[in-house]
Amino acid sequence: MMLSLAIPSKGRLKENCHAWFAKRGLVMEQTVGARGYRASFAGFPEVEVMLLSASEIASALLEGDIHLGITGEDLLREEAPELKGRMHLIKPLGFGFADVVVAVSQYWIDVATMADLDDVCAAYAQTHRRRLRVATKYAQLTRSFFAQARISDYRIVPSAGATEGAPAAGTAEVIVDITTTGATLRDNGLKILDDGVILKSQAQLAASLTADWSAEARKTCETLLARLDADYPALASEFPV
Amino acid sequence: MAAFPYYDASALQALGAQATSILGLFGARGYVHEEPSVLQPAEIFLDRSGEEIRRRTFTLTDPSGRDLALRPDLTIPICRDAVRSDRKWPARICYNGLVFRHQPGEPNRPTQFFQAGAELLGLEDRAAGETEILSLTIDALRVSGLKDFSLRIGDLALFNALVDALALPRQWRQRLKRHFWRAGYVESLLYWLGHGDGTAKLPGTRAEIETLLDSQGDAPAAGRSRAEIVTRALDRATEAATLRLDPVISDAIAKLLDISGPAEEALAEVRALLKATGIALDPQLAAMDARLATLKSLGIAPEKVQFTAHFGRNMEYYTGFVFELWARDREGQVQVAGGGRYDTLLESLGAKQAVSAIGCAIRTERLLAAKAVA
Repeated sequence: MMLSLAIPSKGRLKENCHAWFAKRGLVMEQTVGARGYRASFAGFPEVEVMLLSASEIASALLEGDIHLGITGEDLLREEAPELKGRMHLIKPLGFGFADVVVAVSQYWIDVATMADLDDVCAAYAQTHRRRLRVATKYAQLTRSFFAQARISDYRIVPSAGATEGAPAAGTAEVIVDITTTGATLRDNGLKILDDGVILKSQAQLAASLTADWSAEARKTCETLLARLDADYPALASEFPV
Repeated sequence: MAAFPYYDASALQALGAQATSILGLFGARGYVHEEPSVLQPAEIFLDRSGEEIRRRTFTLTDPSGRDLALRPDLTIPICRDAVRSDRKWPARICYNGLVFRHQPGEPNRPTQFFQAGAELLGLEDRAAGETEILSLTIDALRVSGLKDFSLRIGDLALFNALVDALALPRQWRQRLKRHFWRAGYVESLLYWLGHGDGTAKLPGTRAEIETLLDSQGDAPAAGRSRAEIVTRALDRATEAATLRLDPVISDAIAKLLDISGPAEEALAEVRALLKATGIALDPQLAAMDARLATLKSLGIAPEKVQFTAHFGRNMEYYTGFVFELWARDREGQVQVAGGGRYDTLLESLGAKQAVSAIGCAIRTERLLAAKAVA
């Protein structure tokens, strides 16, 4: 059985992945006739490379459909709030940096911290008789971060895209979203709370612990990780016995 | 207990017989038997119970896209109907039905169980309402055949009154009250107030705040009015200047929250600690004494009643007196009934003014299991 590795199929993440592997002597070659969704490393046919969307990679790792995958840590943590026994983060890759943050309108000059937001949530529920809405595509991350901050008077509104527009559009009062420079948030009149950084994310090489780890797949993985200067024993110690 | 319980003929028969006697008692005391539908609009629970309950509520979307929930309790839908159908107060309503709760991280706890309960809505005489519901709950266990059980009682109003007596800014008092039900957190807030170095800083005058607000360009109001923001910004500025609690007082309150034990001794401890802080909570303590007297008159031995100062229950809508009844099943102590006062719920469901409310709920399957051991 081959070792399967999924990498993002488009955008900056894809280019960064190609470059990252190339720097370590692994040059990716598109497989002929596979419509661009399969690839392999030159001279390393035991690894089957698949090109999937970044969020598909997170769920494929969780489902055990692939052995290894590269995607944003934000997506991995959102997909599996509890990683133990399901996924192992092998190595942060030094690209794809982005923060998952809590942001509110700059007009809310009385709100700078999560404690302020807690007060406002409670007051809002009393005054408006409904809970303050938080728009996000990171429902799990939001839930556990707000729980840590002891905030309960809010509700999550799932957002598919353009989350930063929700406060102006009136579909939510607060957002939890991903940002790299903060420019998009500022353009939309929003600010990040002082203690509102939920996760400092970057691209991660991760292994599924629920995939079918045959002896052969393990062997290939060990060889691959050695070439990538990544810690195989730490991963092996997490495999189910 | 299984995550997906299967009720066989004998289980159904036993539950049915028990329900008949409990509902018979409720009926004899003037409670009308009603039942809201199993599927409810999701927001009536989610807007009231917070993300904690949201995590435990099964929600689904109907084909038209409306968010629905399997009722995680019957109190909220019953109160909602009482408000919408414009009942005459006091209203006495009872129920017996299934509720549904997701049990995150606990795959062996049941996702559905029966609850029999009663709600007493709009009775102005609070002490009388508490006596009525306590007596109803205790008699419901007795009429079902459970003889041996103990009580745990507490009162959120006691803590609220205590916090109101503190020389703290309003926002901080509200914050302490709001988090009462979180063990540990309130203590850390108190410690910070007594021993911390007041870090809240914000510019001050109304003019400064108005100017700052005007300079925010096109930033969206995001659901809050200008007045709302100005008021809070002013509060926050005051707060920064006055945020201090005498460490003697903050330590005494933390100690007080730790008190738990046989009710009479525990309340004596509360009194002693309050005396040291110079705070008087006579009406609240008198109410507690009255409840103990009520329990005694209902034939509950004093050593069976435990008072826990830090007892707020984890359903966020309780506002005052709270109680739980415990018994022993094959595996150990188990809570068979509980209830309390929730004086703000009906208003939040649309009642034109505050409606006092108190209720109880009995976990009938646990009650059966406890009786099997006794």
